[in-house]
Amino acid sequence: MATKAKVRTGRRPVSRDRADSRFAAAALAPAWIFLAVLIGYPLVQVLIDTFNHVNLINPAVSGFAGLDNFREVVADPHFGGAVRNTVVWTAGSVVGEYAIGLVAALLLNRKVRGQAAFRVMTFIPWLVPIIVAGMTWAWMLNPDFGIVNYLLTKFGVIDQPINFLGNKHWAMPTVIFVNVWRSFPYYTISFLAALQAIPGDLYEAAQIDGASPWRRFISVTMPHLRSVSLIIVFIHIIWTAVNFDFIWVMTEGGPNYATITLPILIYRYSMKEFNVGQASALSTMMLIGTSLIFVVYYRYRRKLSEEIVG
Amino acid sequence: MKTRTQRRLGNLGAYVLLTLLSIYCIFPFFWMVVSALKPKREVRARIPTLWPKDLTFENFTSVLGKHGFVTYIRNSMIVALSACLLSLVISILAGYVFSRFFRHHMVRFSNLAMLISQMIPGVLLLVPLYITMRNLGILESYLSLILAYTTFVIPLCTFMLSSAFDSIPMSLEEAAVLDGCGRLGTIRRVILPIMIPSIVSVGLYAFITAWNEFMFGYIFISQEKYRTITPAIMFFKGANSVDWGGLMAASVIAVLPVAMIFLFLQRYFMAGLMSGAVKG
Repeated sequence: MATKAKVRTGRRPVSRDRADSRFAAAALAPAWIFLAVLIGYPLVQVLIDTFNHVNLINPAVSGFAGLDNFREVVADPHFGGAVRNTVVWTAGSVVGEYAIGLVAALLLNRKVRGQAAFRVMTFIPWLVPIIVAGMTWAWMLNPDFGIVNYLLTKFGVIDQPINFLGNKHWAMPTVIFVNVWRSFPYYTISFLAALQAIPGDLYEAAQIDGASPWRRFISVTMPHLRSVSLIIVFIHIIWTAVNFDFIWVMTEGGPNYATITLPILIYRYSMKEFNVGQASALSTMMLIGTSLIFVVYYRYRRKLSEEIVG
Repeated sequence: MKTRTQRRLGNLGAYVLLTLLSIYCIFPFFWMVVSALKPKREVRARIPTLWPKDLTFENFTSVLGKHGFVTYIRNSMIVALSACLLSLVISILAGYVFSRFFRHHMVRFSNLAMLISQMIPGVLLLVPLYITMRNLGILESYLSLILAYTTFVIPLCTFMLSSAFDSIPMSLEEAAVLDGCGRLGTIRRVILPIMIPSIVSVGLYAFITAWNEFMFGYIFISQEKYRTITPAIMFFKGANSVDWGGLMAASVIAVLPVAMIFLFLQRYFMAGLMSGAVKG
């Protein structure tokens, strides 16, 4: 009996290690297959198509294009406007979401009766399909029968109903407004989690020192939100800049290109003009942009960690 | 005394602001439902009524029957449920390995790959994905959507489940292995039953993401018999640009499953979001 046990313990680590490795590889395989076929391969394909003439429906179009696709993108009369709109759309959305998300989190963090119900209500917009958020607001903002225009004219805020989505000056602020409405709960959830992690005695100490509520917010609350702020702001910069759905369902880039953004241009190049090379070149440019944003994030993150640790 | 009145005032202010916040969040849903329940001429009234004078379900019956939303709901259910189950199986396996073999090189590499792939937005891969689906011959089918949705939720599901596995002590499964359970058997019979709350919240995330997705459904599918509900609303708007009552009824139908799930399971859901949100 004794020898048998010894043999087993002697042999086990080797075979178990190998069995473990095999198990780990087998269990990761399905995830890898999905990521490789549906993210890795398309990614490589985008990079290849960027430098080639490719047409979605006409296989006769082929050949090396060099930098032609980039030139075509930059020469597109709507490219400059799309870049500017993408920046406005992204910056406006992220600033609005951050402000409302933070205020909502501070309010929902107070211990008041009905807190749970208020929290649930605040998170509901985030669950809605983008198309539903877009359509519901489009209906509410409708110039002829919309409730918003009715109320605004009734209370004398405006004289004439505003065609929010049909007017080129109003269209962009309006889609930003609707995006903020749907996206801010994500910030609130993240901020709430961070707020709950702040030790209560910090506030007590600040209060004993005579710090005003505003002072406590600046000196105690905000420093504890830096880390979470950094990550959600950067994630949302990327998510918003590449978002196709919101603008497409509300304005399709109109009126008269007033809300056209880069993802919409990609869609137009590929699905309307079937110019895969040009669409890929723009995708590549956006991938480079995304990577740069990621590098900036990474450096900030580093600096912040160093500050927090020591 | 002063601090007490101050606190009262503060609470009052908080209530006022919380009420305004709730109205801002909830009113569009209220208005969606009210408009869906109004007859056509009341929808297009100069002075909107806050509650339908003649409450009617004609918008719902017309959308479900004449405009084929029964099919779209079925398609969305099939696609979202399949994507949810498939991504759960895949990310339970991957999440388990991430948690238990975190020192392996393979795991570190996979972790990095998932982080990166999570940062690559679907729209930038739109064209090659479309061509890949076409080459696989699954463009006009549920399968293209199921595969795409599964892929894009795998990373986050894996991260969330891996941290759930972290909270389960190794000793538990070692005992089961000593009792002669294989590794898969141990996961299935011993660990998964304890993890049901996490699995439910991850599954809900996958389901809702798939149910709400618009772009792939809009581009991969052009036949009505495979169309899912979110693109269907877009096409409905294009074809019936003035039928706001019908459009709102369709919106209610699209929101209903998600809202129900959320209201009944919000405890699971909020906890899962809070733990997963920050890691993003």
